[in-house]
Amino acid sequence: MVKIEIDEDACVGCGSCVEDCPNDVYEMDEAKNKTRVVKEEDCMACLSCHEICPAQAMEHQDIHVAKRLYIDRKVSNAINKII
Amino acid sequence: MEMELEEIRGTFKPELIPPECGGEIDDYEEALHVLMKFVGSMASALEQVSGRGANAIVYQAGKRMGHDAGKLMEKTDNLENAMQELSQILGKEFFFEMWKPSSQESFTIERSGETEVKLLFRDCVVRQTLRRTGLPQKGPLCYLLYGYMVGAVEEVMDIKGKLDIDHVGPNACLKTLTINWGGK
Repeated sequence: MVKIEIDEDACVGCGSCVEDCPNDVYEMDEAKNKTRVVKEEDCMACLSCHEICPAQAMEHQDIHVAKRLYIDRKVSNAINKII
Repeated sequence: MEMELEEIRGTFKPELIPPECGGEIDDYEEALHVLMKFVGSMASALEQVSGRGANAIVYQAGKRMGHDAGKLMEKTDNLENAMQELSQILGKEFFFEMWKPSSQESFTIERSGETEVKLLFRDCVVRQTLRRTGLPQKGPLCYLLYGYMVGAVEEVMDIKGKLDIDHVGPNACLKTLTINWGGK
């Protein structure tokens, strides 16, 4: 099953992930003004939340990572050497 | 930047294609990128010229492909079996599975003479092409898969179907397939 972790230090509380998620996996914690995961089991790992999150505050573990054949392997290899 | 070009020389007979023409994996990668850019540009231009009509054109192309693919499959009136067969025909480049929210008991929902099933497309060449060319999802190219699924389901189950795009994401897309049991 998908495991989602939110980096609370990074989350800016914009609520974009809450609005964007089609399955209401996230909810705003009004007291903390941070996102919290409430329905992890309904996450289909579309990763729209990753794309919309301005702080890259979330991590999805144990998911199917879709193929990305559009990645330029030469560029990717060069970046991997640097990072 | 100077480009390195390696010329392939060999004897070409009408009945034999020299194996060295097959190329290396890097050649395939470059060809794939060129094709992605080409298809993306075509879809973009098609939308510019035909507006919303572009969706219909691509849908029709996909539907024809779907009907052709469906001819290779065994006829069934069981939706779940049809989906499994279709998944095999579509192959790993369009890897999809049936999906349901945790609150729902079965994959299918019956609603006023229609059956709905949610399909989660995990791998999709169309999505990759769109992202390669910087085009938004849900555009004309997505209608190719829409047509493909509908065509294949119509062929296999001999019914009318439609596919709605519920949500698109960089890693998966959720679609709803609706089957009208009233037939064609």
